[in-house]
Amino acid sequence: MDSKESMESREAKDSIKSQVEGLLGSRPRQARHLLAVLQDIQAAFRYLPKEALLMVSEKLEVSAARVFAVAGFYKALSFSPKAERLLTVCQGTACHLRGSEKLIQTLESRLGFKIGQSSTDGRLGLETVNCLGACALAPVATVDGAVHGHLTPEKALDLI
Amino acid sequence: MDHTLPKVTGTIDGHEFEVCHGTTLLEAAKTLGIKIPTLCHHPGLPPDGNCRLCLVETGDKLLASCAFPIRASGGVYLTHSPLVFEARAFVLKLLLSRAPNNKELLKLAEEYGAQADPRLSDDPDGCLRCARCVRACQAAGSQAIALIGRGRGRKVAGPFFEPPLDCVGCLACARSCPTGLIACGEEPRVIWGRQFDLVKCPQCGRTVGTPEELKRAGITSWLCPDCRRREYSQALKNLPEASFVRN
Repeated sequence: MDSKESMESREAKDSIKSQVEGLLGSRPRQARHLLAVLQDIQAAFRYLPKEALLMVSEKLEVSAARVFAVAGFYKALSFSPKAERLLTVCQGTACHLRGSEKLIQTLESRLGFKIGQSSTDGRLGLETVNCLGACALAPVATVDGAVHGHLTPEKALDLI
Repeated sequence: MDHTLPKVTGTIDGHEFEVCHGTTLLEAAKTLGIKIPTLCHHPGLPPDGNCRLCLVETGDKLLASCAFPIRASGGVYLTHSPLVFEARAFVLKLLLSRAPNNKELLKLAEEYGAQADPRLSDDPDGCLRCARCVRACQAAGSQAIALIGRGRGRKVAGPFFEPPLDCVGCLACARSCPTGLIACGEEPRVIWGRQFDLVKCPQCGRTVGTPEELKRAGITSWLCPDCRRREYSQALKNLPEASFVRN
């Protein structure tokens, strides 16, 4: 059982490594491409696996501490898998004034999980963003990048 | 000081100064004997402008004097104006919410009439986030630690919040920390959750450093600096007379 599990995890690690190798191949191996590479990895895996970060550190010749610091700085990058579909509610000033808090409350109570979490099957995740710049459409939310404006709690539930 | 650089002039608190182009405002003030309080500044490390305590007024703007190289003449700088005083008091208030028991900070806070704001003091871990440790690590030749995260959650740590593999146990971080906050042990050598072997000088038995530290510095002899010097002068003494060149 144990050896089978470790075999599986080793296979998973090897598959991550070969995928990251491919992603790294599409960009010049220079420290200044660190963020772009991390974005590629985030897009491919929906998170940044530890093995991937260690590989990036080695190949771009950037210290592991620096890679981890950059990876931890941006909200778009994460260390645990993000959901397949992401519902992002804007919390900017305009959206806040026009009731984004109510949207969040409604969504949280309907979905049964909180902002920053995902459904147990990993299909849907709930997040907030500080401002989308679409203040005229406030309150606003996006589903996988598609913008939905002038939301009410009822309309927000339709997005699920 | 590099004397080939052009000079720049200006005044600090009404006193004229003349320094080399690119000298920081903090250093220029020092040449006049004007004291500016600092916490994140360290003369051996590149400036980072993190603690904001060295703020100085010019025009109606404030700037961090430790990280401001003077590149033009005619600047008028004030180090103890009401604006500066108020800004430093505010900075001290913020820093106190991080490190409420720091003696140096408390002394400065008394001088500036600053008090910690209980609304901000949710995580008083004592660390000023001055990044002196991070810069010391880099200056020593490693990048084992970094400031991780952002905003109030930002803190110094190794990658993945684990004991850093790039650490060589030189203790540069702990020794450069202005709050003495980084937990470490000299002997046995323990830092960031890792323990290191120690190299003892084979002649006098003194601790020289960790093997990893010596390797980083490119030092292959495990003699301590004193014994190495003695050995070198012995070797010089034993050279035949003919190998010396007389001018």
